[in-house]
Amino acid sequence: MYGALDISTSALVANRVRMEVISANIANQGTLLNADGQYEPYQRRDVFIAPGDPTTGSNEGVHVAEIRLDEGPLRPRMEPGSPYADEDGYVYYPNVDPVVETMNAMEASRSYEANVMAIEATKAMTSIALEIIA
Amino acid sequence: MIKSVTNGGAVDVLERLMQFAGQRHRIITNNIANISTPGYRMQDVSVKGFQAQLQEAIDARRNDPATVDGPLELRETTQVRAEKDRLDLRPEPIGTNILFHDQNDRDPERLVQSLVENFVAFRTAAQFLRKEYQLINMAITERP
Amino acid sequence: MADPLGLITTTGTLPTEIGRGASSVRPTHDGPSFKDVLKSQIDEVNALQQGAREAVEDLASGKRDDVEGVILATQQAETAFRLLLQVRNKVMDAYEEVKQIRV
Repeated sequence: MYGALDISTSALVANRVRMEVISANIANQGTLLNADGQYEPYQRRDVFIAPGDPTTGSNEGVHVAEIRLDEGPLRPRMEPGSPYADEDGYVYYPNVDPVVETMNAMEASRSYEANVMAIEATKAMTSIALEIIA
Repeated sequence: MIKSVTNGGAVDVLERLMQFAGQRHRIITNNIANISTPGYRMQDVSVKGFQAQLQEAIDARRNDPATVDGPLELRETTQVRAEKDRLDLRPEPIGTNILFHDQNDRDPERLVQSLVENFVAFRTAAQFLRKEYQLINMAITERP
Repeated sequence: MADPLGLITTTGTLPTEIGRGASSVRPTHDGPSFKDVLKSQIDEVNALQQGAREAVEDLASGKRDDVEGVILATQQAETAFRLLLQVRNKVMDAYEEVKQIRV
């Protein structure tokens, strides 16, 4: 039964990481400057979840395999007066689509809930098994 | 002699059912953990298959007066193998044909149903088992 | 007038006839003995337990799906067993008590 708990916990952790990355994407959808103040639009991050747990070598559970930068095209906006505009007057904004991020957030939240349900079942079953001898 | 005290009665059948449900819980939990994993396919062991295995062993034991109070002998299948104190379960992909954009065949409703059904089977077996042990204890201590 | 022992006779026969008279009113044995009742109860408890065992096994293997029916069967068997155990304990206590009687 403790194995089942590890599996669900690994999924909770992976989904929390996903939520954090989604939050970062949404928060930075208008970020044009990097930490040094130079023009470097924020690039969307993507979380890749894979089965297994490399720390224990088990093939049950999940883990975050990679947090990759999304190399997709940035979104141009016509702002001729901006200091960051190119020769055609376009400023390139981060490739974050709020709708996509919201959908992903809902999915991550649903996964989280499902795993919490699994943990509740695990807890109850352990209790029930112990009651046989009590 | 000690063994025959627990062999009489439905104790071994209930024990096997509890072992099965307990281990299947782990398989279902793993499916739920992988609900967002790209490329993952849901796995499970067949409940009907296990029930047929149980039924076969029960009938074989019942019909022969020599073995009627003996141990339960479960035949081995590709998915379930009986060891002395546990079952070895080998899950297989369920084989649903609906894939999402990330090549995952998740079915949350089905997973929740499996989780709940399995939990109920586990609890039922545990409670009947508890009752059996209580009765054995009652007979031993002569205290009704 | 009641005369259960047959001591009062209309004829003038001697008291040696008394024993023979008494034997003519020995109470008739018109019911099963306690031993037979106990034995039949044991058989019934056995049958109920066997039925309960089969009911539980069938529930576990999916042959039947009515938990209520199985619960009723197991409860009946348990109650019958408890009753039998209680009767057995009382009999043992009575036996111990009788053993203690000084003659």
